[in-house]
Amino acid sequence: MTRLPAPEPQLAEETEEIGDRLLVRRAQQEDMRAYDALVRRYQERIYATVYHMTSNHEDANDLTQETFIKAFRALKSFKGDSSFYTWIYRIAVNKTINFLKQRKNRVQMSLNDVDFNAENDPDLVALVSDKNPRRDLNLSELQEKLNEAMQKLSEHHRMVVTLHDVQGLSHEEIGKIMDCNIGTVRSRLFYARQQLQAYLSDYLK
Amino acid sequence: MNSDPGEFESLRKLMALKRYEQPPPGYFNRLPGKILDRIERGEGQSGLWEKFVTAFAFRPAMAYGFALAAFGALTFSVIYSVKTQPSESAQNPLKNGWRTGGSDAAFASQFNASEPLHVVNWNNTNSSNAEPVLPSLFGPGPHDRTVPVSFASP
Repeated sequence: MTRLPAPEPQLAEETEEIGDRLLVRRAQQEDMRAYDALVRRYQERIYATVYHMTSNHEDANDLTQETFIKAFRALKSFKGDSSFYTWIYRIAVNKTINFLKQRKNRVQMSLNDVDFNAENDPDLVALVSDKNPRRDLNLSELQEKLNEAMQKLSEHHRMVVTLHDVQGLSHEEIGKIMDCNIGTVRSRLFYARQQLQAYLSDYLK
Repeated sequence: MNSDPGEFESLRKLMALKRYEQPPPGYFNRLPGKILDRIERGEGQSGLWEKFVTAFAFRPAMAYGFALAAFGALTFSVIYSVKTQPSESAQNPLKNGWRTGGSDAAFASQFNASEPLHVVNWNNTNSSNAEPVLPSLFGPGPHDRTVPVSFASP
């Protein structure tokens, strides 16, 4: 019996996009099961984006729900010029940035727990190893310092770092989501990393 | 900006920690149900104004187009009003109570040539009232019009 090879990443993306289009068409006709499938497909990514921007689980929960509710109400006007993936991300990004502007500097962190698998991540192990000048630091403290540093960035710089360095999106995808060109994405990313490196210099080797 | 690719290597490793921050167990199993409940309860249904604003939020080009059209309409209305105001008063000078040099002929044609000119007799005195009653310059006259005066001696 021959085993089928795993689909290439590009093919997987195309398959996902075709699946999205079918689900969107059905959801536009008020098929709630189709919309439920779309929510399940994107909820983790949308939640993660909002959470890393706010550093607050309750705010991320509210904003994620509002993003999907708003997307459902606006779904009839969605013509498919961009992918559903880009479109829903754009709604989440706009909602989050508006929320943060209203909140201004009143940051109240409510951080999620770090998954126990983090202790096995070689990169993270190296960071809290004896080579680190702050070797007394544990992962929870490091998490807090990292989130504090993230909150010092402007909303747009934090968004670029979140989408690229945490979520792994390409410059092109970020440009589409944030409605700016790739050059702007690159320069924002560079500046944001420089800022973070300065804030976290004590914790980096 | 063309920096060493390894410049941010330590930071990149540290950022990996954020991927391990996870919401409480079972959170993603409950979230879709909450969202669909809120949709079915009719939450997030927008009014006309919100729909209008939402349409602009998703299509910046439409918002710019609308702003341009509004600016054009405003400019046109300002220019139109500035151009039309003086010409209207020139066409109808008496309507506005103005008398311009160009309207003398129209002004003179209002008077009938066959009618005798009204002459003010300054010597005429009344026994009951020694002082002559002069027509008011500002109050409404008997014919509500300006009366030409002759300076010929009676």
